[in-house]
This record gives sequence, structure tokens and C-alpha cells, in this order.
Amino acid sequence: MRWTNRVRWVFLAPAIAWVLVFTLFPLVYSLYASLHNVTNETIVERAVVPMLDATGKPVLKTDGTPRTKTEIKRETVTKWEWVGLRNFGRVFRDPQVAEAVRVTAIFVVVAVSLEMLLGLLLAFLFNRNLPMRSLLRTIMILPIFATPVAAGYLFFTIFYEEGGPLGWTGIPFLSHPGWALASIIIVDVWQWTPFCFLVFLAALQSIPEDAIEAARLDTDSSVAVWLHVVMPFLQPVIIIVLLLRLAEALKVFDVVASLTVGGPGNATQSVSYLAFRTGLRFFDVGYASALAYLLLAVMMVIVTFFFKRMRTVYA
Amino acid sequence: MANTRTIAAAALIGLAAASPSLAQDTKHVKWLDDGTVELTMDPEYGGVIKTTREELGALFGPGQKPFEGQEVTVLSLDSGPKGGISGPLYAFRPIWEELSGAKLNIALTPISELYTKTFLDLRNGTGEYDAMIVGAFFYGDLIAGNYILPVDDWYNSGDYPKWSYDAMPASLRNIYTWGGVGYGVLSDADGQVLYYRRDLLTNPEHQAAFKGEYGYDLPVPPTTLQQLRDIAKYFNGKDFDANDPEPDSGAVLHLKVREQGLYHFTTLATSFAMTPGPELTKTTNVYWFDPEDMTPLINSPGHVKALDFLKELAQYGPPAQVSWSLGEAWDYFLRGKAVFNFSYGDVSPLAQDETRSKIKGKVGAAILPASDTYWDMNTKAFVTTQEVRKVGNVTGGSWHGVISSLGDAPEASYSFLSLMAIKPASKWLATYGWDGVDPGYKYQFLEPLGEAKLEDYTNAGWDATDVKEYLQAYYDNFNAPTLLPYLRITGTQEYFDVLDSNLSAAMSGSKTSQQALDDTAAAWEQITDRLGRDKQLAAYQQAIGWKQ
Repeated sequence: MRWTNRVRWVFLAPAIAWVLVFTLFPLVYSLYASLHNVTNETIVERAVVPMLDATGKPVLKTDGTPRTKTEIKRETVTKWEWVGLRNFGRVFRDPQVAEAVRVTAIFVVVAVSLEMLLGLLLAFLFNRNLPMRSLLRTIMILPIFATPVAAGYLFFTIFYEEGGPLGWTGIPFLSHPGWALASIIIVDVWQWTPFCFLVFLAALQSIPEDAIEAARLDTDSSVAVWLHVVMPFLQPVIIIVLLLRLAEALKVFDVVASLTVGGPGNATQSVSYLAFRTGLRFFDVGYASALAYLLLAVMMVIVTFFFKRMRTVYA
Repeated sequence: MANTRTIAAAALIGLAAASPSLAQDTKHVKWLDDGTVELTMDPEYGGVIKTTREELGALFGPGQKPFEGQEVTVLSLDSGPKGGISGPLYAFRPIWEELSGAKLNIALTPISELYTKTFLDLRNGTGEYDAMIVGAFFYGDLIAGNYILPVDDWYNSGDYPKWSYDAMPASLRNIYTWGGVGYGVLSDADGQVLYYRRDLLTNPEHQAAFKGEYGYDLPVPPTTLQQLRDIAKYFNGKDFDANDPEPDSGAVLHLKVREQGLYHFTTLATSFAMTPGPELTKTTNVYWFDPEDMTPLINSPGHVKALDFLKELAQYGPPAQVSWSLGEAWDYFLRGKAVFNFSYGDVSPLAQDETRSKIKGKVGAAILPASDTYWDMNTKAFVTTQEVRKVGNVTGGSWHGVISSLGDAPEASYSFLSLMAIKPASKWLATYGWDGVDPGYKYQFLEPLGEAKLEDYTNAGWDATDVKEYLQAYYDNFNAPTLLPYLRITGTQEYFDVLDSNLSAAMSGSKTSQQALDDTAAAWEQITDRLGRDKQLAAYQQAIGWKQ
């Protein structure tokens, strides 16, 4: 092998290591876990022995009698019981999963649609000459930088029904199942519309002026220019933003955990939150892995669809 | 000047030589010649615990540092350095560090994460924590995994600070032990009792108006849940709180899912769903499961009726309470905006804090009234009784310390937990509201039922009538002839979670009571099958003391 070939491997090694350790290993491990029932047990043996000082003499208590200490031998044993596809079978029979899928689907469809629509409208608005445009644009994008958990707690105080700033509306933001889901959606829209807006604005500003001016020579209709010139330029960006938002929204967790903890009932429990609780609250690791794989499968379908669509657009 | 210093130094040396104990005194521990010891907390806690050398055990003594060089880490729920349950750890830390020579680390986590953090450490064999402050409902999982050590040998040795399981009523002793073996070190005593506004219920105008409306005298306190409901209904919507012009509530509950919301139901349903009897049988004094085959009883007609009742009672409170956790419901009550609240032992102590409460001197307390109707599992019919029944509970965590099997310093850890459990320390903790340690032990109740004197509490800032009713209520509750059995089997957290989410769905109107409890029962069957029915049955029988 020529040395240049070897050098190539040296440069590739970090990337390969990264993929193996942080992507492939968790994937394989969780697949393995999803096919097993995982339990832990600690075996403990105790023995009371005399306590000796550094010179080997017995240590005495205040009453002059010798002190003892407990020596503990312990071993933690993890048992992997093969269950085949049973955990995946449970996924389809579990009413909590059905409810979590319904909640996640509503959340994704409504939140992402609103974010895309509002983002696009705001981008068109900010693509014109507005007074204080820079300042307003800066303020607009601030929510992106908030940690989702912090946003959840912030809105918890805003939506607080007894004396919160919106208490006067009488809307049961957190105590009614429908409104609680709407509250989660509002927080997500508040946080991620600016992201859509920012990317769409950048895309709009990158459309060549010549193309639009040339189109205006052919037609007086702004709608026609928008449909036949602006939208084709925007379409790849819209697909990318939609893909990113769908992938993120499907995994919604932080706001649920901080704002509603999945309630009332399970009215705002997303699939991610259910998987988290199954794995880390009830330590049903195999089933939680199967749930995570379900989510991954749905996301893979969506990603594949959008990548195909993007290839078509570029073609 | 130099002479004066020399004389003073000589006098001090002479004094120290004459009194060996004085020479060994430290900032927080004072050894007195008469055999007593003063344990002084830092100023922000303000407590001085008077104990004896004998009570501190054979290991602690002047100049002794039996655990020098060791380090102990205790995991607790997080209410801050001066908050419930975690606060006492901070208050006693410097005292114990001086007595033991060891170092104490306090690891805190939100209450909602405590179970996860505890079991992640134990299941993975990490052993980061030497001791954990746990809820008694953790025991099923703790014992099944061999994750905690019995304390009986240390308890009986005389080497460690001395406290007593005998101070506990049987109801509490049962949840601090497993199969007769001690695991928990005495601390908190949880149970839910009724808190009511004594000033409103004894108001002659309200009494007359109530009688006119409901046709019977307003009972103070109510002796049945049905009376409680009528009173809540009568007061609901009236503006009895002079602090704001808004209408006030009959009752306030904490119903937030996954934030202890389910406990209102489990407590209240006891007197509806449990068939009373002199002993535990397949049909009497059972509540959760059939003790012969683990069939869930949670959707029995008694449980369903109880949930219907709870839903009705919730109508006489603020609608937002469906999303309220403990603190929010307590604050509402403490602001004087509700007549009733049934909750843990923290409410009355918090009511004495006038920076937070507007109802000091107005808070009555009583054992939670029982329903006048209950489901008889023998006859399969509801029974209505005129008898005033006392039905108690130990609902809640009764948060206390246990020793991890995986820790490196079990003896040192036990010495710390037991220091907080000695009688004067435990008594001091019960008299102050901020620490979350609620009363339940013999020496915390007033004479003649217990050993405490009224001044013990009034000196700590209590209103005399408030504290008398409060302690009587808890005494009645923990010593009631009928008691809600405590669920502590493997997977308790999961069983409770299913019940919790279904109850929340019912309380928020997504499900009917029957549907919510049927769904719970179906999910419980699946959990039992998955965890192993025989294993679960054996653990359940042991937990409730079932004898074939």
C-alpha cells in the first residue's frame, strides 16, 4: 500500500471512530436490548470483622470494647433474557403507545404547519423595506436561543391559570386535555417559527433580482411571479426546513417534560416522553428500545420521502 | 498588657485541663460534664438539640472521630438547604462531621427524578450514594434487588445514636421494615388528614345558613365524606376570604399527574372500597389486589364510586387544580381561599408561618372522614352505615434514609441517619414546619397520648388550638382500626403511574370513572404478567402480611 493511501486512512479514522462509537454502537446496542428483557440484580455478602488500626491493633470504642466494621462483597449482575420480537409486539398492543402516537402526530402536523406558514409570511414581510428591520429581525430570532426546557418553565408561569399573566382569559391552558396540547404547540411555534423565518428570509434574499425583474416584464400579476419564479427558488429550502422541523418535532420531549409532564392524563405524552419514562422510570429497557426504534422507523420513512422529493426538485 | 495575656492564657489552659470535655468541644458540639451534650445547628437553622453521651452511642465521644477520613454521600429529593426533607441534612451536617470526623456530601435531585436517580445508581452498580432518602413505596424494588442493607445489627449494637422503632405506631413501623427486619431509619411520617377552616365552620351565620340549606347542623369537623362534600358545596363560590374580591372555593386538591395527584384518590377511596373486618381476608381489608391471585381490585364498584365522589368534590374547587402539584394547592389553602384541603402533615406547620399563611390560628385538622357507604366484597353490594368510622392511611413517602448495599461507608452513613433520628432531634424536627418531617411518633404527640408538652410546640411558634387538633388528627389517623394497605411491591412506580394517568384523565374529563379504572386494571394485569405473577403475588402477600 502506498503511503498516501495510508495517510488517507489516518484522516478518515476520526470520522470512522465517531460513527462507530456514537452512531453505530448505540443503534446496535439498542437493537440488541429491544430483543431482550433486561434485568439487574445485586448479590450482596456481608461479614462483620474486627477493625484494626495501621499497626494492626484493634480499634476501641469510647467504652473500651473493640470496634467492628462491615465488609461487603457485592456483584451486580445484568441478565439478558431473549424475548425475540415480543417487545415490538407489545408496541402495537399498548394503549399508551396508541395515545402517544396520536398526540405526537397532532403535535407534528399542527406545530410544523404553523411554523412553516408563519415563517414564510414573516420572511415575505421582512423581505420588504420596513422601518427598524434589523432590530425587529434580531428580536424575532431570540426564541431560537432559549433552551427548550427553560422555554417550558417560562410558559408554565405564563399559562398559570391562577394569577398567571394570562389567567384573566379564563382559558384552562394546562388543566384541559385539548388546551394542554395546544399549549405545547404554542411553545414550539413560539420557539421555532423564527428558525423557519430566518432560513426563508435568507433564501428570498438570495433570489437573483434579474429573474424577478425579467418575470415582471412578462406579467403584471404578483401571484404569477410568486408562483412561477419565487416558489421554484424557495422549494428546495422549504423541503429542507420542513425535513428538519419534522425530525425535531417528532422527538418533542423537553417542553412536554417541563410544561405538562405529559398530562392531564396522557393528553400531551409524546412517543419520546413515553420511551424516556419506560426506560428510565420503569427501567423496562428492552421495551423502551423497541419504542425508540418505532420512532426511528417513522422518521426514516419521512426522511426518505423528502430526500426523494428533493432529488426530483433538483432534477 | 503582656502579663494580662499570660494570665488569661494560663487560666484557659488550667480550665481546659480541669475539664477534659471543654477541651474537646467544637463549634457545633458541646460535651458537658454532667453527661449531656449540646448539638448546635448553624444560625440559619437555629436549633439546639440537648442529648446525652449515652444516647449518642459508644462510638461518638469527646475527641473521638470514629469515621475520620471517610466520605459519605446521601441522595435526597431537592427542596433546597432550608426546604422539606433535604433541609435537615444540611442542618445536621456540621454536627455530624464534627462528631464523626467524616465528610458529608449531599446530592439533591427533583422529587420527580429521585426514583430514577436512585435506581440508575443501584441497577448499574455505580454505588455513588452511600445512603438515600427514599419514599416507602420504593421498598418493593429496593428489597427485590438487594439494593439496601438491614440496619438491625447497628441499631441493636449500642454503638450508634439511639432511636427506637418502638416509638412508631404499627402502621408506620410496617413501612420502615420488611418482613420484620429494619431497613429504614426513623424520620418522616406521612399520611393524609383533613384540614379545615375552623373559623368558617364555627361561624354562627354560616351554621344557620347551612342548616337552612341542607337540613342538618353543620358538623365541626365533618364526620363523613358526604358531609364534607355538602359543606364544600355550600361554601364554594362565596367570597369568605377578605383579601380579594374573588369568589373562593369549597375544597382544594393537588391533582397534577405524576406529581402525587393520585394519592388523593387512593386515600379517599379507602372508606368506599375496602370492606372493613377484624382481620385480613380475601374480602376484608384488601384494596389493591386479590391476595390469592393478584387480580386487580382497583376497578371495584367501591373504587368507581370513590372516583365519582372525588370528581364531584373537585367541582367545588378551582378548575386549575387539575394541573396543580402540592405547593400550589397548599398555597391556595394557606392564602385562605378554600375551606378544605386533605393532604400531608406539612399543611398545618406551614400555616403557622405568617409570611406565607393568612390562616394561622384558624386551621382545624381531623382524621379524614370516612364515607357513609362502602362496597361489601362479601355480599357484592353497597352498605350504608350510621356508624362514624375511622379509616386511616400512611399515604405518601414517609421519606427516610436507607443504607445502600453498594456504598463504601455503611456504618458512617448509618451513624449520620441515626443522629437525625434520636428522640430530641426527631422531636425538634417535628415542631418546625420548614423541614418536611411530619409527626407520627409517640414522643411527638401531646400528653397523655404521647410524651410531648404543648409548650414544645407553642415555643416553636404554633397556635395552641391548631397544634392540638393537628396532633390529635395524626394520632387518630396512624392508629385507626381500618388502614389503607401500603403498596410496595416490585414495579409499584409503574402500577402507580398507570393509575395516576388514568385518574388524571378522569379528573380532566377525558374518561369516565369506570373507563379510567377499567383501563388501569387491564394495564395492571399486563404489568403483573410481565413482572411474573407468582413473584408479584408472593411480594404482595408479604407486603400486606397475608397469611393463608
